[in-house]
Amino acid sequence: MGPVELLHMSVFSQSFSPCGRFLAAGNNYGEIALFSLSAALSPDATGLSQKPVLTFTAHEGPVFSLLSTDCHLLSAGNGEVSAWSWTELIKKNVKPLWTKRPNYKSSLEIPEINSMTINSRDNSLIVGGGDNNLHVLDLEHGVFKAVLQGHSDYVHCVTMREREAEILSGGEDGAVRMWDLHVCFSLTERLSVFQSCARPQFGKWISCLTTDSDWMLCGGGPSLSLWHLRSLSPTSTFPLSGCQRQAAFYQDMILAVGEGPFVSHCLLGGDVKAQIPCSPQSLNTLQLNTNSTEHRVLTVGGSSAHIDVFTNLSYRAFSLSF
Amino acid sequence: MGAVTDDEVIRKRLLIDGDGAGDDRRINVLLKSFTKWCNSPATPEEGFTQYQRMLGTLAQCEFSMGKTLMVYDMNLREMENYEKIYTNIEQNITSAHEKIAECKKEIQRAKRIRKNRQEYDALAKVIQQHPDRHETLKQLEALDKELQQLSHIKENVDAKLELRKKQFHVLLSTIQELQQTLENDEKSDNDDNNQESPAENGE
Repeated sequence: MGPVELLHMSVFSQSFSPCGRFLAAGNNYGEIALFSLSAALSPDATGLSQKPVLTFTAHEGPVFSLLSTDCHLLSAGNGEVSAWSWTELIKKNVKPLWTKRPNYKSSLEIPEINSMTINSRDNSLIVGGGDNNLHVLDLEHGVFKAVLQGHSDYVHCVTMREREAEILSGGEDGAVRMWDLHVCFSLTERLSVFQSCARPQFGKWISCLTTDSDWMLCGGGPSLSLWHLRSLSPTSTFPLSGCQRQAAFYQDMILAVGEGPFVSHCLLGGDVKAQIPCSPQSLNTLQLNTNSTEHRVLTVGGSSAHIDVFTNLSYRAFSLSF
Repeated sequence: MGAVTDDEVIRKRLLIDGDGAGDDRRINVLLKSFTKWCNSPATPEEGFTQYQRMLGTLAQCEFSMGKTLMVYDMNLREMENYEKIYTNIEQNITSAHEKIAECKKEIQRAKRIRKNRQEYDALAKVIQQHPDRHETLKQLEALDKELQQLSHIKENVDAKLELRKKQFHVLLSTIQELQQTLENDEKSDNDDNNQESPAENGE
C-alpha cells in the first residue's frame, strides 16, 4: 500500500467482533482490515499495535457496509454480500464462507450495496443498494426471499425497528419508507421530510438513518432531525452545518458524524452539546463497541487512512491506521 | 611496603578498638577494671576512685540499655500505629470503591431520566403546536348545532314542497276529470243529434 494510496483511502464501514476484542474496517479499495483492540488498549501498546493484525482484499469495489452477527462478519461489496467467520479471521484464514448476489433486473450494471441490516427475528438480512430496491436474504437457507420495491432512487441506508419488526430505509429520493415484515413486506408509511428540516442547497437525499424503536434520527441533505415514530412527527432539528452520514443514540445523547472533522454530541432537545475534533477531514462511519465491557470505545472513520478511537467520549485517545 | 603498613594499620586498630565499639567496649573495660580493682593492692582512695569510676561505667551501661529498651517499645508501638492506619486506609479504599459503583449506577439512572425528560419535552413541543382540545370540541359542538338547524330547515322545506306537489296534483287531476266529463258530454250530445237527423232523413 503505497503512500499515495494511503492518502486517498477512505474508511466506509466498521464492525466490532462478537467478543468485542477486534475491529473490522472496510475501505474504498475493497480491503478489510482487522485491528486488535485488546492490543491497542493495553497499557504496553506500541505503535505496532495500532496497525492491523490482518488486511485482506474482500471485494472488487469499495466495502460500503460491514455487519457482525454472532459468529459471522458480513461484508457488502460490489453488488455482492460475503460472509466470513470471525474465528477463522482471527486465525488469519481469509477464505469467505459464502458470497451471494441478489437478483438484479439488469445485468449490465452491477449496483453497489450501500447498507445492510439484520432482522434477528427470522434470521434474515436486508440489503439496500443502487438498484432502488431492498432485497431480503434468508440466512438459514441462503436464498433471497423478497424484494421490497418502492424507492425511486437508490437506497442509502437501512435500519431495523426491533420492537415492531419494521424496516426503515432512506434513499436518494428523499423519502424514508417504513416496511412491515409481518404483513408480507408491505409498505406502511412514507415520511416526507418536513419544511423545517429541508435544506435545498444540499439536496433531499437521506444518508443517515437510525432508530431505537420509538424515535428515529434521519439526516443527510436535510438537517439531522429527530422524529417520533408513533405520531410520525418531527420533534427537533439539530443545527449542524454539514451533511450527517451516520448517527447513533447513546445513553441520553445523540452522536453524529458527517462533514467536518468532528463528532457532534447533541441532546434530544435539539442543542448541540459538544463537537469533539478528530483527525479525518470528514467522517463516514461511527461505531460503539457494546460487545465488550472492558473495551468500550467509540471508533470513527472517514476520509483518511486513520480510524480514531475514543475511550472517553470527550476526547480522542489514539488512532488506528491502515 | 604495603604489607608492612597493613600490619601497622591492623595493629593500630586492634590497639585502639580492641574491645569492640561503644557499649560492648564499655562492658569489657568494666570487666577488666573490675578484675584489676579486685586484684590491685592499691591505696584505699585509689581503690575508692576506681570503684566510683566502675559504678559510673555501670550506670552508663544501664542507662544505654534502658534507652534501647524504650526505643524498642517505641518501635513496636509505631508498628501497631502504622498497622491501624493501614487497615483504616484499606477500609476507606473499599468504601470509596463501593461509593464509586453506586455513583456510577446513579449516573446511569440519571441519564435515563434525563433522556426520558428530553423525549417528553420534544413530544410536548409537538403537542403544543396543535390547538387545544376544549376549543376544538367547542367548535365541533357549534358546527353540530348549525348542522342540526340546517337539516331541520331542510326538512321543513321538503315537507312544504311535498304538500304543494300533492295539492297541485289534486288540482290538476280534478281539472282533467272535469275536462273528460265535458268531452264525454259533448260527444254524447253530438251522437244524440246525429241519431235524430238520419232518423228524420229516413222518414
